[in-house]
Amino acid sequence: MERMRPLLLALALAPALAGASGPEPGYRMLDGGAFHSSVRFEDATGLVPVAPYQLMQHPVTNAQFAAFVAAHPQWRRDRIPALFASPGYLGHWETADGPGATVAAEAPVAHVNWYAADAYCRAQGARLPTFLEWEFAAAADATRFDARDDRAWRLRQINDGTPRAIDAAADAPANAWGIHGLHGANWEWSGDFTSLLGDGDRRGQEDGEALRFCGATALAFNDPGDYGVVKRFVLLSALQPSSTLGNLGFRCARSQP
Amino acid sequence: MKSSPLLLALALGMAALASPVRAADTTAPALPGQSLYHLQAGFTDQDGHALQWHDLRGRPQLVSMLYTNCHLMCPLIVENAKGVQKQLTPAQREKLGIAMLSLDPARDTPAVMADMAGRHRVGDGWRFLQPDADDVPALANVLDVRYRFREDGSINHTSALVLLDADGRILARSEVSSAVPDPAFIDDVRKALAGG
Repeated sequence: MERMRPLLLALALAPALAGASGPEPGYRMLDGGAFHSSVRFEDATGLVPVAPYQLMQHPVTNAQFAAFVAAHPQWRRDRIPALFASPGYLGHWETADGPGATVAAEAPVAHVNWYAADAYCRAQGARLPTFLEWEFAAAADATRFDARDDRAWRLRQINDGTPRAIDAAADAPANAWGIHGLHGANWEWSGDFTSLLGDGDRRGQEDGEALRFCGATALAFNDPGDYGVVKRFVLLSALQPSSTLGNLGFRCARSQP
Repeated sequence: MKSSPLLLALALGMAALASPVRAADTTAPALPGQSLYHLQAGFTDQDGHALQWHDLRGRPQLVSMLYTNCHLMCPLIVENAKGVQKQLTPAQREKLGIAMLSLDPARDTPAVMADMAGRHRVGDGWRFLQPDADDVPALANVLDVRYRFREDGSINHTSALVLLDADGRILARSEVSSAVPDPAFIDDVRKALAGG
């Protein structure tokens, strides 16, 4: 009997330990680990480390963003400082303080620029996910943590960012991490989108120029057949922080302490 | 024209009512729309004191982003900014703030930043700031600094000095490629200190 005790103790402690480091409400925990990214950065070595993190189960909705705007009125479309403003910002809402009756309150918010998305997440004590964190989470389908070997599944990602996307329907299943909508009708901001691609005309120049700019550059894809990643990468790297799109929203992430 | 301070005060009073978060600002005139100080971001300085990004308001600032575990470009950024300062008269120097913001707040603690300040023997008016962890991407974006951590812990980043006016609007920018400051940029700094 003596020998069973450590096991019993471990069994008894397991739920408590899981609870202590469990995710925030609305978030799921992702283990991270060594990950084969489809994006090749200049210092690429194949596997890149992904630290454990939490990611929102759903993208931020119109209702959630309206609550944020009410608490932080400097992000209303009629009060946003010129520094962060863009013509289309929250342009689809009926009024400056909410979506109104014609826009679904529970639909993902769109027409938000990077500054507003970043401010929303920071106001929750969170942050935007990095592109790598998005890619890590989005490698999963409903049953596999990494479904990227499945050619048929990947082919369907050509529809990402359109109403025909895999996760576009409201009742589409969560992926293996418990996360919804990563391959949905909307694109999502990443925290590091400005650094995905260096300025085009400075790339490939001699060392002096590279040093002067030192902008990290993803010159190629390890896997150009990873359509969901390639499309998203190209789209995000073409945007400015003040850009808005009718099919671009966001969700937040948290680092594990 | 005499009525404009009154109008400003009225406008500000209304803004303060609408925005309880910034209640401390009730005595300052409203920020211009393009001011980078609209961004909410917090720091700890090299002496361990907490401050807000908009606390830099009040005099022109020379701002850059760097990290201490950086052996090539970052020392050049500091030396380049020192070079700018050296070209100024003592009276001009007193009117200019210099702020070095870390891209790597996890490692650049106030003690580490103080050590960098000491190694470069910077004078008065310099701040070496550790941003709050999640505030770095937004600071980098308003300053148009691009950066990416490499796998070895080093950071690829834009090396630039950005000149802000007393209200936080960008006046000029100098891409740093050596310790020697750009004469045209020094002229911009002198102009900023002469005006206002």
